[in-house]
Amino acid sequence: MTDLDGTQNQSWPKMVRLLLILVAITSVLSLLYAIQYFAGGPIRLPVVSELYDLAFESGQSLLAAGAQDGEVLLWEVPGRISTRAMTEEDVAAQEPWMMYTLPGHDAPVIEVVFTPDGANLVSVSRDGVVKRWDLSAGANVGIENGQGQTVFAIQGEPLNDASFSGDGSRLATIADDAIVRVWDLSTGQALQTIGSSKESKTIVALNADGTLVAAGDGSSIQIWDVTTGAGVQRLEGYWEDEEVQDDWLGHDEEVTALAFGPDGQSLASGSSDTTIVFWDLDTGEVTSMSEGHWATITTLLYDQNGAFVLSGARDNKIRNIRTKGGKSTASYIGHLNAVNRADYGPVRDTVMSVSDDGTLRVWESATQRVVHMEWPKYGFQPTWGKVLSVWMLVSGILGLVCLWGLWKRQIWSHLLALAMYLLGPIVVLGLPLFEVFSYPLPTEIQVQIAWPLVVLAAWYILLLVVLTREPVAMRYEAPREAPLSEQLVIGQRTVKTRFGIYSLAVWVALLVILFSILRRFDLDIAFMEHFLPFIMAGAGLTVVISAASIVLAIILALLGALGRLSENPIANGVSSFYISLIRGTPLLVQIFIWYLGLPRLGIILQPLAAGILALGVNYGAYMTEIFRAGIQAIGKGQYEAAHALGMSRAQTFRRIVLPQAFRIVIPPIGNEFIAMMKDSSLVYVMGVWELTFRAQKIGRQNFRNMETFLIAAAFYWVLTVMFQFLQGKLEDYMARGERR
Amino acid sequence: MTGPIIKVRGLHKYFGPLHVIQGVDLDVAPTEVVVIIGPSGGGKSTFLRCLNFLEEPSAGTIEIDNVMIKAREPAGQQRRHIREIRQKAGMVFQQFNLFPHMTALGNVIEAPLIVKSMSKSEATAKGEELLDWVGLSDKRDEFPSRLSGGQQQRVAIARALAMEPQIMLFDEPTSALDPELIGEVVEVMERLAREGMTMIVVTHEIHFAQDVADRVILMADGGWVEMAPPEELFTKPKEERTRQFLSHIL
Repeated sequence: MTDLDGTQNQSWPKMVRLLLILVAITSVLSLLYAIQYFAGGPIRLPVVSELYDLAFESGQSLLAAGAQDGEVLLWEVPGRISTRAMTEEDVAAQEPWMMYTLPGHDAPVIEVVFTPDGANLVSVSRDGVVKRWDLSAGANVGIENGQGQTVFAIQGEPLNDASFSGDGSRLATIADDAIVRVWDLSTGQALQTIGSSKESKTIVALNADGTLVAAGDGSSIQIWDVTTGAGVQRLEGYWEDEEVQDDWLGHDEEVTALAFGPDGQSLASGSSDTTIVFWDLDTGEVTSMSEGHWATITTLLYDQNGAFVLSGARDNKIRNIRTKGGKSTASYIGHLNAVNRADYGPVRDTVMSVSDDGTLRVWESATQRVVHMEWPKYGFQPTWGKVLSVWMLVSGILGLVCLWGLWKRQIWSHLLALAMYLLGPIVVLGLPLFEVFSYPLPTEIQVQIAWPLVVLAAWYILLLVVLTREPVAMRYEAPREAPLSEQLVIGQRTVKTRFGIYSLAVWVALLVILFSILRRFDLDIAFMEHFLPFIMAGAGLTVVISAASIVLAIILALLGALGRLSENPIANGVSSFYISLIRGTPLLVQIFIWYLGLPRLGIILQPLAAGILALGVNYGAYMTEIFRAGIQAIGKGQYEAAHALGMSRAQTFRRIVLPQAFRIVIPPIGNEFIAMMKDSSLVYVMGVWELTFRAQKIGRQNFRNMETFLIAAAFYWVLTVMFQFLQGKLEDYMARGERR
Repeated sequence: MTGPIIKVRGLHKYFGPLHVIQGVDLDVAPTEVVVIIGPSGGGKSTFLRCLNFLEEPSAGTIEIDNVMIKAREPAGQQRRHIREIRQKAGMVFQQFNLFPHMTALGNVIEAPLIVKSMSKSEATAKGEELLDWVGLSDKRDEFPSRLSGGQQQRVAIARALAMEPQIMLFDEPTSALDPELIGEVVEVMERLAREGMTMIVVTHEIHFAQDVADRVILMADGGWVEMAPPEELFTKPKEERTRQFLSHIL
């Protein structure tokens, strides 16, 4: 050691200097990345480009899709699609179709359509540009036409949705200002402008011949005549039975998807309330409703004779629904993100779809499995791009703060660095990496997608290792100028905190792993989100039942323990009989006796009250022994001291023995409480709608037991963790006399 | 008051078949300090604990400050008398027996609050005064586990004094202490004696007996062997048994 003199300006050893430079470079680069990302710069995590719309042209067998990055994608679909390749691996290993990229739009392409003669492809982008691509000489010629031909550009607010008429001659648009316009595609003239002051601006639809235009208006649907611009019809929900207000027919949230039926008499609408409603346009009445999606409906499409509707939703699923009755006949599950468009085709008995996950998928109707998949662009799911850039911003700032702290030799900077380079990579890099390796793609492509994050994670781990190396850590954990005693104290504290952070990191890592494993259970996340509120509504009841039962149990246990310790034979007998009877019979049987037996004596209990009584009495018996042991653990000296001071037996028990006994029994009682919280689910047999009961009910109804029970399990766990925290605090408080 | 404040007549105590105290009498005058010494198992502690009925005597009468209890009186009447006696007789234990869940001050004011229904402010003022008197005013908010043995015993003395007893019973108050801590407790006891407290002390501290006691009793085999002022008992003991005992300890 050359710097034992402990001067303020001692030079940093090489190792530390190198470390500081590494942290500085990392932080600055992170910040630069985040800044250029948010400014729309070119360097970004490879993410897929969301696909918004698809169209199929049977003459040339061309399939077109509009993408978020402004590209129109065009595939040559082979005449035969093999349906033998069934496993995910087989699909992943398939030869991709011949694909053409038509660049030219500067904004996401929201709508694509082929003209009926198949000669042209028309695309609409969010910024209002409508382009025509001449395909009369084949797809590759369309590319050679370069930018395509801009038919016209719609001025004003960005478009949210567009819809072509069946013959492709007219286009309806709805913009951010909620104004609906209908355009003649050949001239680019606005045929009608329907000013609307309403809030809804999400969805617009044209009927087959382009004479009627419909748009969502809150939970209702407004239909206008294109020629006159006059409103012709308004579809609103209503009560099936007005008097008792039973069975609401219609939507109760915003309409997010619309489709006119091919017969011109019907209309289908989807909503963020997850329902699909079929309307009769003659009467304005609801013909049927369909529930089964678990999230906002994004797209609806009638088949040629109007018997079925294909629906897509934010729950990543596509469903085939019979318009009569609203029953689902097929569901296509596999997209990793919201489905934006689904259509019948491209060959017989198949369905095709595009999604926010950046894939085009073709499904076989019979088996409802993917038979072909196109990833026009490989990458992470779009969210991860945003998550990473936010993390880069945060870690860049934290890194600089940390650096400043290291320079000033502040201990917190060490801890900050630990947290940043330990927890950050686990969560921000670990989750997307886990996800990538579950994508249905060949491994080499998974690696090709994942490598930037792998490199980043490796770099963070390197930083972490260097940061925590003993000689480095010693440099900044304690200020060299401080007296030895202070340095030792600081060192001890740092070791403790470091231990805490490391064990926290282990927890987080295990959670991430657990989460990733659960993801592979093929869980229906949208389903879980949809029913989470319903299941959680039982959580309050679970807490109430457990809390009330534990209070009752503690009172009974206290009395029981006094009885067991009493020299009074009656008290002793009653108490030991109670313990023996209750501990000797199953809890479930006891619950039944409370609920079904007592009414025979004329005592009718509410299910909730019966449940609380059953649980409280049961746990009281077990806890009696805990209390007895706790009371007996108090030494004779305490009684003598209290008696010698003139305190009565009751005073001694209340003021001297009980508080000390409580301290002893809190850990085992906490244990019992945790067990009880989970046993409280047994009251479901009485039809108390608590957490487990709801989970079971919903799970059985939808054949999704795993999902609902996982929600319940997660809630119990969270509750237990919270309770353990409180118990720890209580124990600390009660043990304040014992601390050394 | 002129008569004895403690009057014990014909006290017997059996533990099962074991005859631990074999009929002893004792009168203690107000402000008198009586020290009981003697070999282990001689019945000293039992005698002391019988005085405030922590052990129930098998036969005999005990009268403290005009409250008299006969052994095997009817329970209800006896219980009332016992509580009266216990409030008149403070006791200090070998193992201190402080309440571990209360601070030093909490220990001192507990009984006045609960038994005497004293107001909190009054009890606190008195408690602080007592802690100051035993030299521990700076420890008022410490829990017993943070105090040394000597400090704990001094808190225990303050706790007993808080009930304003007429007499104080000390049951080997220094036996559980490290040698260097004995002094601080003895000093408090000496101060208490000087201030005129009537005390019965069971102890092995011969110096305390010599310096402070008005009377020393040698107890062995459940009875008094010899009772005399200290200068007499320690220098010219009459009984052979006394000489034998003193030769062991001096």
